[in-house]
Amino acid sequence: MRQIGPATQSPYQGLPEVPERPAYIIVIGAGKVGFYLTRHLLEGGYEVALIEKDPARAALVAAQLGSCASLVGDGDEMAFLATSGIERAGVVAAVTGDDEDNLIACQLAKRQFRVPRTIARVNNPRNVQLFHQLGVDVAVSATELILGVIESGLASHGDVLQIPMGGSKTALVRVTVPVGQAVGRKASEITDLASERLLLIVRDGHEVAPETPLEAGDQIVLFTRRPASDFMLEVPELISPAAR
Amino acid sequence: MKVVIVGCGRVGSTLANDMAREGHEVAIVDISRRSFDRLGESFPGQVVLGSGIDQEILEQAGAANADCFISVTNGDNRNIMSAQVAKEIFKIPRVMTRIYDPIRERVYREMGLYTFCPTVVGAAIARTFFESGADAADRARHAVAVSGASGGA
Repeated sequence: MRQIGPATQSPYQGLPEVPERPAYIIVIGAGKVGFYLTRHLLEGGYEVALIEKDPARAALVAAQLGSCASLVGDGDEMAFLATSGIERAGVVAAVTGDDEDNLIACQLAKRQFRVPRTIARVNNPRNVQLFHQLGVDVAVSATELILGVIESGLASHGDVLQIPMGGSKTALVRVTVPVGQAVGRKASEITDLASERLLLIVRDGHEVAPETPLEAGDQIVLFTRRPASDFMLEVPELISPAAR
Repeated sequence: MKVVIVGCGRVGSTLANDMAREGHEVAIVDISRRSFDRLGESFPGQVVLGSGIDQEILEQAGAANADCFISVTNGDNRNIMSAQVAKEIFKIPRVMTRIYDPIRERVYREMGLYTFCPTVVGAAIARTFFESGADAADRARHAVAVSGASGGA
């Protein structure tokens, strides 16, 4: 895994850059996710094929996207996949509503057609780890993402944002410093933050040095392995027990 | 031994009944409550209502200390995923799955799952019967019954 640099570096440096020559991408499943993903990719200049097994749904989507982008067929039927030009695809994204179909489509793409990058939508969050173990490169759980956002809305001190990173337990977390005891102290002096990997501190939209005394409203971005629910409720309390 | 069966259709229910009556510890999983009617009134094993691709459901069925596992639902992908969970997560020593699609069956057999394909087996028996008659077909069936479909295609 990529080593995250000191706090002066942007946390976004690790994101993959868009390749100069757009790759051929196959999207499997033309539900809401598949449809908007395909449209987004087409707008970005990628060559995309959208595979959908229900002919009526495929026809509807084709009318909206332009027929060149959509194919009627079964995304895990090998004979059909072979006709979609899958062997030259750079990415296969399986985004149907059924975990078993997404898993098998990715495994076939990877194993039979040597597709370098496979992405699966995961409907049951418990399957994220399993999908990685079974060879899927990226497993995205919409449920987990949405739960994270909802949980952050429920945190007692409000503004905590958590972004799960793939299947690992590590997540990117943003905590807003509340009014209280943390103010005037350095982040490294706060027990609860000292053991975490701090990425940056943002004040009024600008990054400040990691050892700057904190002010209320500062945003601290860190990498942590602690579960979101635990983190979001405890950290503001530990930073500022008096602020309750 | 302890056996977990996913899918209470004809194959699943027959196997469950046979093995439970022989004294084995059997748990059978299905998403439809009505499918358990196939087991009859006095099934001595455990029934678990839920999806066989769900790790929690397999846990309830005792997958963690099972010796044998088979997935025989009517969905190939469900069978394959469920068998992979049984093998990779629960480390069940003997895992078997039914795959109707011959191409997928070949792929997953090569990947190390113990699979069988009724399509291939059925077609092979029919051809043997057409070309060589009932005795030869019976022998082919017997070979399948004793050795599984591993030598097929």
